[in-house]
Amino acid sequence: MIEQLAGPIALVGYGLAAIGPGIGIGIVVGNAIQAMVRQPEMAGVARTTMFLGIAFTEALALIGFVLFFIAG
Amino acid sequence: MDVILAAASCDPATDIICVPENVNELFELPFVGAFNRTILLMLLAAVIVVALLYFGLHKRSIMPTKFGTAIESLVTFVRDDIAIGIIGPNDGLKYFPYLLSLFLFLLVGNLFEITPFVNFPIASRIGIPIFLALLTWVIFVVAGLRKQGLAYIGHLLWPPGVPIALKPLVGLIEFVSTLFLRPITLAVRLFANMVAGHLMLTLLLVSGVVFVSNVGNIGARAIIGIPWFVFGLGIFLFEIVVAVLQAYIFTLLSAVYVQTSIHPEH
Repeated sequence: MIEQLAGPIALVGYGLAAIGPGIGIGIVVGNAIQAMVRQPEMAGVARTTMFLGIAFTEALALIGFVLFFIAG
Repeated sequence: MDVILAAASCDPATDIICVPENVNELFELPFVGAFNRTILLMLLAAVIVVALLYFGLHKRSIMPTKFGTAIESLVTFVRDDIAIGIIGPNDGLKYFPYLLSLFLFLLVGNLFEITPFVNFPIASRIGIPIFLALLTWVIFVVAGLRKQGLAYIGHLLWPPGVPIALKPLVGLIEFVSTLFLRPITLAVRLFANMVAGHLMLTLLLVSGVVFVSNVGNIGARAIIGIPWFVFGLGIFLFEIVVAVLQAYIFTLLSAVYVQTSIHPEH
């Protein structure tokens, strides 16, 4: 089955690597929006923390992106 | 057809999109070897930053010009929101010059990506993000050692309040994540975002140009080029946001790393 696949398999790997961070960023941003709506006076803090959370979550997807070039 | 260097072998009669041939160039080290476009643009970015700050702030008057106000609000943003907001009012000002130069250099360098006729983000060559990330690494390690002395090593391995039984495991995880994963992810995040944007813009806009300009050879098939080009222009707008956001995130994370080494309790 695997032998019949044509093209670089790293493409599939990167697709898999993007699933988790995709869900994670969704959770981070969703909760940040909830925090901003509930406490608009804290919106600045929530936004900064949201970017931090996105940046940490995104790192996993980026490692997949680089491995795609290295292994592909 | 110099524009199309990235996709020199693109054959609009059979291909659907013009794929670049060689991506190894992305991993070159721009500091090694001959004087090239990357180094020229890097020097240009440095000169632009110095010029912006000089002409924006060298005259202090009661009625600042529009340009002066814009530069001033950029500087104030970095000082109040990043340096003081993250690191704290006393220590923040000590690291503010580094954070400001980092932010402005990356901002100008990333905006080269969407500058017409330049179209090249300097951070899309791995050498530059790696160097900046190592600089941040040295700064936060030295900041921790200067602030806490050798106790910094202990705080680095074991955050306060870790049970004895978990100390080996937590120590190992913290050691790897602080000293190795932090600089790597810092560099790769900027690099990958810039490369992905640059690659997408190149693919879409070049495909659009190649297909439409070959209308004499391929006839009705040239219509493929129009959606590619329109999509490319949409990505172009999106890349403005990405360029600014990545400069901000790099600076923000540098500030957070410095903050965690001088205030271990957080």
